[in-house]
Amino acid sequence: MAEQKINTTESGSTASILSIRGLQKSFDSLSVLKDISLSVDRGNVISIIGPSGSGKSTLLRCATFLEHADGGDILYDGQYALKDGVYASKAELNRFRTRFGLVFQNFNLFPHYSVMRNISEAPILHGENREEVRERAMMLLKKMGLEGKENAYPCQLSGGQQQRVAIARALAINPEILFFDEPTSALDPELTGEVLKVIRQLAEDKMTMVVVTHEMPFARAVSNRVIFMDGGVIVEQGHPEEVFGNPTQERTRQFLRNYQQ
Amino acid sequence: MSLMTMIVKMSEGLGKTCAIFFLTLLFSLPLGMIVALLRMSKVKIVSAITRFIITVLRGTPLMLQLLAVTYGPYYLFGTNVARNKLIPVVIAFSINYAAYFAEIYRGGIESIPVGQYEAAEVLGYTKLQTFMRIILPQVIKRIMPSVTNEVVTLVKDTSMAFTVSYQEMFTIGKQIANSQTSFMPFLVAGAFYYIFNVIVDYLMGRIEKRLDYYS
Amino acid sequence: MKKILSIALVLMMVLGLSATAFAADSSPVADRTTFVMGIDPEYPPFSYLGDDGDYTGFDVEVCQAVCDLLGWKLEIFGVNWDEKLVQLDSMECDCVWSGMTILDTMKEAGYVISAPYYDNTQVLVVKEESGFKSSEDLAGKVVAVQLGTSGESLLNDDLADLAATFGNVITCDSFLKCFTELQGNAVDAVFVDLPVAASYAADHEGLLIIDEALGAEQYGIAFRAGDAELCEAVDAAVQELVENGTYAEIAAKEEYVDIVNNLIFLNGTGAEEEAAA
Repeated sequence: MAEQKINTTESGSTASILSIRGLQKSFDSLSVLKDISLSVDRGNVISIIGPSGSGKSTLLRCATFLEHADGGDILYDGQYALKDGVYASKAELNRFRTRFGLVFQNFNLFPHYSVMRNISEAPILHGENREEVRERAMMLLKKMGLEGKENAYPCQLSGGQQQRVAIARALAINPEILFFDEPTSALDPELTGEVLKVIRQLAEDKMTMVVVTHEMPFARAVSNRVIFMDGGVIVEQGHPEEVFGNPTQERTRQFLRNYQQ
Repeated sequence: MSLMTMIVKMSEGLGKTCAIFFLTLLFSLPLGMIVALLRMSKVKIVSAITRFIITVLRGTPLMLQLLAVTYGPYYLFGTNVARNKLIPVVIAFSINYAAYFAEIYRGGIESIPVGQYEAAEVLGYTKLQTFMRIILPQVIKRIMPSVTNEVVTLVKDTSMAFTVSYQEMFTIGKQIANSQTSFMPFLVAGAFYYIFNVIVDYLMGRIEKRLDYYS
Repeated sequence: MKKILSIALVLMMVLGLSATAFAADSSPVADRTTFVMGIDPEYPPFSYLGDDGDYTGFDVEVCQAVCDLLGWKLEIFGVNWDEKLVQLDSMECDCVWSGMTILDTMKEAGYVISAPYYDNTQVLVVKEESGFKSSEDLAGKVVAVQLGTSGESLLNDDLADLAATFGNVITCDSFLKCFTELQGNAVDAVFVDLPVAASYAADHEGLLIIDEALGAEQYGIAFRAGDAELCEAVDAAVQELVENGTYAEIAAKEEYVDIVNNLIFLNGTGAEEEAAA
């Protein structure tokens, strides 16, 4: 990360929880993100769709600092985490991390921890009261339909249950925004429903979310906005009914046509 | 000399054998982790040097390393040879075993999916927390069978301390064998090592079982 | 009873016959044609039954070379070691030459003994600066000995009383390590064969051989009283072998690696070394 100090309190305007401007990322000579800009308003659900290799996962990984962007701005709540390709300090990035949660395609639960410890350890490490965290974890488990599973180990759970634990884990640090990176792609088809149901419920609770997904009906039903990415650029974005019902771009139409089969 | 006196005399050396064994484990297990981390360092020169040292330690006989540690300083700098041979013996054993453990650790660490690091990072674990809480416990479970192998080998390798005249069990056995022109002490030594390893095997098996609560 | 007696008689006759078959030659050295060597056939590596069924060993090979030199035919006679001198006297052999320790009692009894050729004397080596002068000074000190050497067995048996006065006896698997331990101050003395001590001390400064022959023994060849001429001839022949290199050639064989350091003709004795120094 660059050493240069940037002022994170400096306001980048807007009431958006997340603003991304002119984001660039290449792997070696391959340009994966070309000048991506988007903003996420509080309470909104945004779905990102597009063919594999279009850069949607990389976008999410840049937004969560798992990938190091080459240029552009990333702002959380108007504060710069990345300004013109320069990152904030490690400590500041860590503070930003408490603002968001990420749910992985492969769950990435800690196999040696019980469900309870998976969910509660991070907030406890951040200095929260152990009992409060446990109570919150129990509440989250209930919300995820996993009552009584707090002492189970991930290997004892089905894929769908594991992913719901992962969602509870991400929620346990009280994030302002939750990212999902293809949350149902690793699941057997009969298990995707239970995970999508939980996400839908979170949307009803006005949780701010960015979901990279291949579940088109889900994206159409839940999102406030749909972003179609291809070749490292945002090809088209808008209300789901517009993007799905009446796409303006030929690439979008072609992509959706392949999916409808 | 009766079999009983033989056994009594040799068990006097068993304490020294145990001292080599436990002290070597005490030092080489953590040292191996440091070596493994240096070996995986992103600083090229550090990992290259560590890698070279590991190949030397694994590519030369332990007996030679024992001699080098015990008598090397005397031949090179004219310093005194240690009167208490336990010190150079444990140093040589610890360094040698650390090299083996380092490679086992490295294999274990590299086998942990990158997703574990990423999940911890996003949740705000520090690098140290990630390693100590998330990675290391999983590594330990994965490497237990290989570590057990090394520990069993260590029990048998303690006999090599005789090359620097450390009077452990096998050295005493050799002395008795020589003076009594009898093969019996070697059988007794074999029995001692076998029993030692049966115990080691049992204990390591219990640890592995305790780690069996997840897969 | 009668039966046993007759078997014993037959046995005696057979033994007697075999004895006459090996009857020693009492003729003077000049016109001697055979030489009967009395050996202990179970004393490797000096004399023993080889894999091919013939007697061999260091002493046997040297004796063969001596006979070749002097134009004698070598015959080998296995003696009963307890009765070796009786058998020598009864002309069953011309000499006893088989890793035999020279005892004062032999000389007193008039036997002619060759120049000693093997030194089994053990000594203590210390560092000069240590100030140790005798084995008594080493009471409570640490002494190193090479595993499997006569020194080690002496400390276990004949010199066990002396060993008990030491603080500790440690065994090394080579004499080089014993000396390294000494020079590196890990032990206070090394208990070792005199020739080994002498040659090492000659090459390395600051070492002192304590002037006490512990468990001193030397090997020699015994001849009958009155066979001084024969003894001289053999001694001279051996010296010639030493000078022309045959002796060293035999000693260099792998099977004699354990004894080569103690061969007086090749290494000299400690006393000679010191005199030379």
